[in-house]
Amino acid sequence: MDLVLLYVDPGSGSYLVQVIIAAAMGIVFFFKNIKLYILSFFRRFSRKHKDNPPA
Amino acid sequence: MSVITSHPSSYRDPSGYIFEKEGLLYRQVNQCFKEDFESFISSGCFAHFVKKGLLIPHEQIAENLTGDQEWYTTLKPTKVSFISYAWEWSFDMLKDAALLTLQIAREALQFDMILKDATPYNIQWHKGKFILIDSLSFEKYKNQPWVAYRQFCEGFLAPLLLMHYRKYSLQQLQLAWPDGVPLDLTQRLLPWRSKLSIHTYLHIHLHAKLSRKENKPGKAPIFDKQKILKLFASLETLISSLHLPEQASTWSGYYTEASQRNDYLHEKKEIIFKWISVTEGVKSAVDIGANEGEFSKLLAAKSISTIAADFDPYCINRLYSKIKGTKEINIQPLILDIANPGPAIGVNLEERQSFYQRCRVDMVLALALIHHLVIGKRIPLEKVARMFSTIGDCLIVEFVPYEDEKVQLMLQTKTGNFPYYSQQDFENAFARYFYIEKKESIGKSGRTLFLMKGNK
Repeated sequence: MDLVLLYVDPGSGSYLVQVIIAAAMGIVFFFKNIKLYILSFFRRFSRKHKDNPPA
Repeated sequence: MSVITSHPSSYRDPSGYIFEKEGLLYRQVNQCFKEDFESFISSGCFAHFVKKGLLIPHEQIAENLTGDQEWYTTLKPTKVSFISYAWEWSFDMLKDAALLTLQIAREALQFDMILKDATPYNIQWHKGKFILIDSLSFEKYKNQPWVAYRQFCEGFLAPLLLMHYRKYSLQQLQLAWPDGVPLDLTQRLLPWRSKLSIHTYLHIHLHAKLSRKENKPGKAPIFDKQKILKLFASLETLISSLHLPEQASTWSGYYTEASQRNDYLHEKKEIIFKWISVTEGVKSAVDIGANEGEFSKLLAAKSISTIAADFDPYCINRLYSKIKGTKEINIQPLILDIANPGPAIGVNLEERQSFYQRCRVDMVLALALIHHLVIGKRIPLEKVARMFSTIGDCLIVEFVPYEDEKVQLMLQTKTGNFPYYSQQDFENAFARYFYIEKKESIGKSGRTLFLMKGNK
């Protein structure tokens, strides 16, 4: 083990990774929401079709 | 003046500590934590979690019982009947404890509070489910990153991920690293493909890499609630997706096989039910070698608080899945190898107590177990008797004779003889610690049940 690691504040690396994760999750959840919106649009669309089948 | 004993594991947190006085458990809150504790109560956070049954309730006592100058207030929490540790939990138990911690951390934000500790030791089994037992884990949220994040990753996430990816129950890792499996090690033990999961990559691989770098001390960055909620959402998404595949262990399907032996199980249940119905003063019990808890249920039905213990983590996981979400409050599933029970560890070997230090019950149930210990593990009968007497005063034990087909099956793979394994040898060895109160043969199985009481 690198001796310097014994003196490193373990919290500081954890803070930095949290900032990165929050940013990454912002992007992930943004696209997830778009996906969910599109899926719900198609579900609504197909339900409408089922409720009012073409004559 | 009565003696105050501070709890050996309650020394890290300057906010307060647990102590015992006249056999009762208290928690002192120190002056330095006054502001946070007042916010915790006045914001409604404490009431919210107690109402939801997620946090242990406490009574506040305005009396300085320790005489400590640092004293701010005293709490008298409801006592948990048996303290268990994460290496005694099955995969799903650890997973649910992790999800509970995240739920509490997330909901506390509504009250502008945050969890400052996220260790499995703060989660305990209470009345049929997991609950947070540390009321001093909440502090005011200061727009900063989650201070307990690394502790959570090492204590919960790392062992869960290792079991998920390696498809193996690895509870012993938590005993080897009681403060959490180091990220650096976790990263090395995880397969390369774990990097393909964005959540695992960020929380473990990148986290380990950044923690290795020399960081200059500085101010914590501003981290608003939305960001911290994203962090929790990522952890919850990841943990919810983890599972340990069911494995056919030696003891899977034990009851199916045993029930095929004429009326063996049925008759055994009848005798035990008859005995526990007439044995007075039994409020707690341990069922050693409980498998999926078929006999623990008999005790639980009599309102006996029962630890259903087995060394097979898959059996305990199945038992946990069965009772989870039911109204069963008297069974506590526990992984326990009675031939190698949990040791005392930590500072001065006092921080985490051994299984024997934690477990003293009214009744011990040891069914179809003796031959595994004496023949399978070559433990002398006298040592087995002492083992049981350390745990409880009353014992229901099944003697499986030498001629039994299961014993014969075991002997096929054993070398040497077992000359001291007759029923008489068994009775003589146990007479040192117990006297026989009742004795009954289980149908035509050739096996005998004994109800014994401690000699002391």
